[in-house]
Amino acid sequence: MSDKPASREQIAAAAALAGIELPPEYFDELVDSYRRIEPVLKRMRQARAHGNEPAHAYDPRKFMPDAGST
Amino acid sequence: MLTASRTAPSSSDLTELTIAEAAALLERRAISPVDLVQAAMERIERLDPHLHAFVTVTGKEARAAAYLAETRIASGDYRGGVDGIPFALKDNIETAGVLTSSHSKLRLDNVPAEDAAVAASMKRAGGILLGKTATFEFTAGGPSWDLPWPPAINPWSEHHLPGGSSSGNGAAIAARMVAGAIGTDTGGSVRWPAAVCGIVGLKPTYGRVSRRGVHPNTFSLDHCGPMARSVEDCAILLDAIAGHDPRDPGSCDEPVPDYRAALTGSIARLRIGLVRHWYSADAQAEVVAAVDAAARQLEGLGAIVEEVELPPLQDYVDCKAVISLGELFAIYGNELRARPQDFGKSMRQRVIAGGLVRAEDYVQALGWRTELTSKVFATFRRFDLLATAGWMSGAEANDPNSDDFVRKRLLVTMPFSLAGNPALSLPCGFSSEGLPLSLQLGGRPFDEATVLRVGEAYQRVTDWHRRVPPLGWATSEGARS
Repeated sequence: MSDKPASREQIAAAAALAGIELPPEYFDELVDSYRRIEPVLKRMRQARAHGNEPAHAYDPRKFMPDAGST
Repeated sequence: MLTASRTAPSSSDLTELTIAEAAALLERRAISPVDLVQAAMERIERLDPHLHAFVTVTGKEARAAAYLAETRIASGDYRGGVDGIPFALKDNIETAGVLTSSHSKLRLDNVPAEDAAVAASMKRAGGILLGKTATFEFTAGGPSWDLPWPPAINPWSEHHLPGGSSSGNGAAIAARMVAGAIGTDTGGSVRWPAAVCGIVGLKPTYGRVSRRGVHPNTFSLDHCGPMARSVEDCAILLDAIAGHDPRDPGSCDEPVPDYRAALTGSIARLRIGLVRHWYSADAQAEVVAAVDAAARQLEGLGAIVEEVELPPLQDYVDCKAVISLGELFAIYGNELRARPQDFGKSMRQRVIAGGLVRAEDYVQALGWRTELTSKVFATFRRFDLLATAGWMSGAEANDPNSDDFVRKRLLVTMPFSLAGNPALSLPCGFSSEGLPLSLQLGGRPFDEATVLRVGEAYQRVTDWHRRVPPLGWATSEGARS
């Protein structure tokens, strides 16, 4: 994984794949926003063990059509 | 404090009452809900043009509800708790027939047909809705100066903000426009405004209070919680809104105790873990001194306080950021793609990078959440409660040109957001600028009773929560001078 921050071109390509086609005036906001979170993502991708059960829970009873009916 | 008498209390006396004080007078029929609503409306009309705490004031509906409550209570049907008490709701909580905007241009026409579960619970308990309060856009983007409504202002200083995202609640309660309100908290949105407005805010356990009918921020982290001037009032509000809701998949079916009855004042031998390293190096010096002093006061009440070490605060902040980015974009991404210009800049910037967060990142962040929260919960083998700062500073300046300060700060509220355990923010001092400072208490899951008991015991021996903002600048007299 590269230590260099993503270039504007790489961010534009990732945004296009995510269906984000912004007017130019908002693209700078995306670059700024992504560059703030990018170090966090890199740190997490490098440092995290993969064995932790994610903190999610799924109880199928809560999604039955009559859940909550009285 | 106002006491029952044959003479009619003045309007200012009534707005000074806590919920508990007003309830005692209502029960004795020394005052009526109509008096309380009238006094609150007069204060809102006088102050809110300066404080911008409300997006919508439901004065006509509130007066009608107050007359009905007055008649019912006069007939002997008094329910206790919040019965006959005016309250406010953050404007991301849906209300039947009343605009619910989430402070966004994208929801300018959103008038729901149904009440959110917490709104219905408050009304069922006899509460009287006074209005809907300002928030950060969709509870995530703010403070913002480019939305249909201006940001709320901190009653303690016209040059400062009331935190967020339950910013209007913080301002309205501190300014005595309303005694209690319901907010929402994803990363600290009840506790931050409580901290910087000098009031009390409780984020209950995840699943303790229904989120049905609340505009989401981050499904896996969203909570509803009470805000008021005293811990006792937060307990009264929680009594009205806690409980299982099978129509909220995140709701938990756990017994609900009587929270107000748990306020015994006794905390002797209670073991409190002080997470000092979360604030000692990064908080303002006055915050460090105030929180340290509060810990000593808890010791003075008989608690056993010891320092405890947990992972760095930054880990909790980063983990929460990745989870929220992924979920926020999943919720608001389509509207962002189609109508980016209709979002405020702060919300647009907050959400937009979420489109580039990978599924792998999101799942990794959830795994990280497991690791980080397990370490919080492990401390409850040794301690009954954790204590730390409620916020790292006093209120932030009201400066539209400042950078987005939320993203630059270490948010000390976030560990308990991730852990989903109950967390209470309460006043513990003032800065040299006269701005409130705050202590935060975190408890075991579903043990709100202990958190509230400790907070209320602290408020029995301190008077930080009784101080009144110097609102001369926001009154018509003050504004003219």
